[in-house]
Amino acid sequence: MTAIHLENLVKRFGAFTALKTMDLEIRDGEFMALLGPSGCGKSTTMNMIAGMEQPSEGRITFDGRDMNGVAMGRRGVGFVFQNYAIFTHMNVYDNLAYGLKVRGTPASEIDRRVKAMADFLQLTPMLDKPSAKLSVNILQRLAIGRSAIVEPAIFLLDEPLSNVDAAFRAVMRTELKHLQRQFRQTMVYVTHDQLEAMTMADRIAVMDHGVLQQVGTPLEVYNDPVNLFVADFIGSPGMNLLKGVLADSDRGLVADLGALGITAPIDPALSATARKHGIREVVYGFRPERVVLAGAGQGIAMPVTFIERIGARTVVHFGDGEQRVKAVFDNDVAVQTGETVHVAVEPGFARLFDAATGVAIREV
Amino acid sequence: MSMLATEEKISVTGDLSTTGTRIEDGGRRLGLMLTLPAQLLVLFIAVFPLLMQLYISLTDWSPLDGIGWWQAYELWNNFANYTDLAVDSRFWDALGRTALVMLICVPAEFLLGLGLAILFMDNFAGKRVFYSIMLIPMMVVPAVAGYMFFMLFQSGGPVNDIISTLIGRPFALAWLSSPGTALIAVMIADIWQWTPLMFLILLAGLVGVPEDQMRAATLLGASWSQRFRTIVMPKMKTIIIIALSIRVIENFKIFDTLYIMTGGGPGVATETISVYIYKVTQQDLIWGYVAAIALVILIALSILVSLAISRMNAAKEA
Ligand SMILES: Nc1ncnc2c1ncn2[C@@H]1O[C@H](COP(=O)(O)OP(=O)(O)O)[C@@H](O)[C@H]1O
Ligand SMILES: [Mg+2]
Repeated sequence: MTAIHLENLVKRFGAFTALKTMDLEIRDGEFMALLGPSGCGKSTTMNMIAGMEQPSEGRITFDGRDMNGVAMGRRGVGFVFQNYAIFTHMNVYDNLAYGLKVRGTPASEIDRRVKAMADFLQLTPMLDKPSAKLSVNILQRLAIGRSAIVEPAIFLLDEPLSNVDAAFRAVMRTELKHLQRQFRQTMVYVTHDQLEAMTMADRIAVMDHGVLQQVGTPLEVYNDPVNLFVADFIGSPGMNLLKGVLADSDRGLVADLGALGITAPIDPALSATARKHGIREVVYGFRPERVVLAGAGQGIAMPVTFIERIGARTVVHFGDGEQRVKAVFDNDVAVQTGETVHVAVEPGFARLFDAATGVAIREV
Repeated sequence: MSMLATEEKISVTGDLSTTGTRIEDGGRRLGLMLTLPAQLLVLFIAVFPLLMQLYISLTDWSPLDGIGWWQAYELWNNFANYTDLAVDSRFWDALGRTALVMLICVPAEFLLGLGLAILFMDNFAGKRVFYSIMLIPMMVVPAVAGYMFFMLFQSGGPVNDIISTLIGRPFALAWLSSPGTALIAVMIADIWQWTPLMFLILLAGLVGVPEDQMRAATLLGASWSQRFRTIVMPKMKTIIIIALSIRVIENFKIFDTLYIMTGGGPGVATETISVYIYKVTQQDLIWGYVAAIALVILIALSILVSLAISRMNAAKEA
């Protein structure tokens, strides 16, 4: 139960800058996900919060206390490593008990708490087993239990589910959220899997190439990505992004989508911003989930190139040279490959980005 | 992920072995036949000298007797070598001295080596150079080391010079010719020469301690000494036992450097088992007796080592 504040955090490894001026406020008791592709600096950020790495610039505060120079053992941080770092020479019980033992907790209390934790994580039958031979799923729970048992104020998890199988991952997503609700710690969760971030986190910090792109609730980053990277990275499939040029018309400002031969009207509020900044080249974006079939003569007419069924959802790929569009329907949809279909974007769900900078054009 | 891969591999080999049982039965017999000559040869090489030693040790045979060793049974002496040995105080003194040297040198080498290895886990300026320097003593030929320490410990030698400077008055102890100090000088030489080996083995062990587990322990609040006791030591158990076993066996046989420094003297002040055996063999030429000594020591050492190995296996299972 501690607020974490990263202020102008920079991390360099020699000449390589792994993290560029990161500013992030993680609230007390919040479940924050650090989301980004591999190598974007998520682990580096976590390691600095834990004190395993020292920032090159900037500082980290816990509830306003500067953590610079505070040893990692004294930060009150629980850390679940990507590879779990289980003590392989100990059995499950001793792994769970470790944090309490080194604190000099009385043996009777250690026993009580280890058994309670084992019960909570369904590790009771394994308590006497040597930990070197456990399956990944069990190691993963053990790693969480070993950190959680000392009730750290801050809980950091570095891709804890990346090694476990899909079915177990779904179970653990629920369990982790449950665990956090129960202990009310501030939780920072690193993942490259947006599904994990979207389902568990209170807020998501999206990162790319060592730069923090956007911080917001799952719905905020999903609905209103601040730039093309977030628009494309969040959602599966990502946002449809069509190149266009802004032009005046009798309907006000419109985006001329070129080859598609149509013009999309632009929201007056966004038009004002675009006009103010003199933006002409834009990217017109909309979520595949917000595509609807339109009547003939309406919307964008495009041939269906491919139909993909993912569980109950149907992903329809439309293509026309450079400009490609994907649409996601909750159920089966009456289109066929090769057929030309008219599609439209639900009103209010189109987004506009400056093609030159990739930044979203917002109301001012 | 690696764990998943191993599980897969295991199941694959499992399949193969079930279909291949028939081939395997024949294969095992063929394998035995093919390796039998080599196995017999190894057995012969390893066991023959021992059997010969056992045989000689039961006789009064000596190379000066003018009969071949195979005829030694003519000199059968009803276990006299062993009964003599039981009451040979020079032997028991030498054994005690050897044990004393071992009990001081091996722990000293272990602690110094461990301390140095821990220092070398951190980065410091000139680490590579120090590392090379550290290993030099181990590479010095023992005979050369013997002469070196012989010079160092002369009454007018550098060791006394340094002590004189430190205490501010002349100091001229004849280290190697005083019964009280000769053994100390010998042990210092042994520690100097063999600490690097300990260092090298223990450093390999320390490097092998998984860093993430150390970090996990730190994050759980373990202090340096707690981490050392609960993570480093258990992980290094096997390698420590190996290092100690090597040094215990080697140190028990301490001879070359020592012999050049003191010749086992003054008197018998530095006479260890090896020196005693050497003297009995070379000077007294009672080979049957020597064979008995050697056999007793071999058995004693074997028991020591197998104890160490069983400890090691226990450690591995835990
Ligand atoms: N100790 C290090 N030395 C040099 N480069 C590093 C080190 N740790 C991480 N990096 C680099 O920093 C970048 C970010 O790494 P990391 O934070 O581990 O990414 P991820 O987001 O996948 O966790 C990567 O390009 C990585 O190669
Ligand atoms: Mg990482």
